[in-house]
Amino acid sequence: MSRLNYLLVALLSTVTLGACTTAQPDHCAVNLRGNLGTAMNTAETKLASGCEYHFNSYFNSLLTIAEANPDTDNKMLFSDHLMRVNDMGVISRRQAEGLYNRYFNIKFVSLQGDYNTCSQTCPVRSQVMSDMQAELHDKELGLMRASADAASFYRADTLLKETDLVLEATCRACSAGKTQ
Amino acid sequence: MLPRKFTTTRPSDLIYAVTLLALLTLGAPGANAGVSGPVVRLFPTTVLEDIRETGQVAEDMENNLQEVITRLDMQEQLYTESLCQGADGDQGCDRIAKQLGATYLEMLDIMSDRLPEMERAVNNTRNSLESRLRQELGQRTTPTTLQNALLGESGSAKEAERPALRGRSGVRLSDRFKQYYNLVSTNREGASKSLAVVASDIYLDMDEAAHLIAATQEEIGRAALMEQLNQSFGMITPEMAAVVGGVKEILFGESMAENAIAAPPYAIGETDFVSPLAM
Repeated sequence: MSRLNYLLVALLSTVTLGACTTAQPDHCAVNLRGNLGTAMNTAETKLASGCEYHFNSYFNSLLTIAEANPDTDNKMLFSDHLMRVNDMGVISRRQAEGLYNRYFNIKFVSLQGDYNTCSQTCPVRSQVMSDMQAELHDKELGLMRASADAASFYRADTLLKETDLVLEATCRACSAGKTQ
Repeated sequence: MLPRKFTTTRPSDLIYAVTLLALLTLGAPGANAGVSGPVVRLFPTTVLEDIRETGQVAEDMENNLQEVITRLDMQEQLYTESLCQGADGDQGCDRIAKQLGATYLEMLDIMSDRLPEMERAVNNTRNSLESRLRQELGQRTTPTTLQNALLGESGSAKEAERPALRGRSGVRLSDRFKQYYNLVSTNREGASKSLAVVASDIYLDMDEAAHLIAATQEEIGRAALMEQLNQSFGMITPEMAAVVGGVKEILFGESMAENAIAAPPYAIGETDFVSPLAM
């Protein structure tokens, strides 16, 4: 056999073995469905067995399940789920809070900060408002569609409008103060 | 029967300014504030006094204009009912048109007399609110506490306690300022969540109204000049009627805007689950 033939055989073997490897079922791939609580348990079991990097896709699947089965208890189920996932060390406390509040709280994660409004928010007001608008879409999913809590979603919507008005006035006043 | 000279003027600018002024000045909140959130002193006595004075100036202006506008309406009605439109050369119609033009000039005179005082009052209110907003919401509040203040620590408020956002009200200007005054004078030491919205609302209205009053003053001068020229022809125009309409809209809220579709309720759902993850 020529050297070229050896190479061809080796290459063919590698491709064949590779094909065998990918044909094996993905341990982390799971089709979450049905009861939300059960699906959360399944997701947590997977997360505890080396599938931490699938957390986002599991979370999105759980939201889809909740959307298909809206219930006021879903908010609590997600809170408990995120706490357990945090206890498992898959996500940090801050991530857990961020996700919960983004989807299930009236308050906006996008409007946070420890410095005064003039210096922190006003310079990036349009970006803050844009982020809040995007967050409102997630709240629509979490509050209205998944948790059947339209009242809270409407309150969040009103809060966004009020924030827009107050920031417009406050930032204009801050700006006028600078020019004086 | 459009006059030759009036059509070359630009009273539409005046109408525009007047209408915008009405739009901006009549928007207002309308109810009381709740009781929660950090105490933010947006309405000290000085601001309250400015608001009260602006309302008083607006009322004086209304009282001065009420009679002349009523007279204008009657003259216009007489002109229409006498079938004067297109009746060129009819002496009776010419006389009515001249009277109407003179009354129109009278209205413009009153407005130009009163607007400087109105401008001063509006500027005072704007400046004092601007200072309070900058100090209280801009420098003494973080984005987090601002959100908490708007929402209220309880996370809920009765619908009746919350002010409506900006919009046309269809009420007299002076009544609107009375509402402002009553609203903030009874709650100024209390909750900041709604008062922040109220203060922002008034401030933005005053800021834009101040600019429009100045623009309106300029246009009144121009409109008065053109109408003085038109007096020699004794004609009335649709533009004149529109200006009168704009003034009525500002002062008496006679132009009714379409009512907005009712907003959803503010009450929080029955299951007030509080997550340990909640902010």
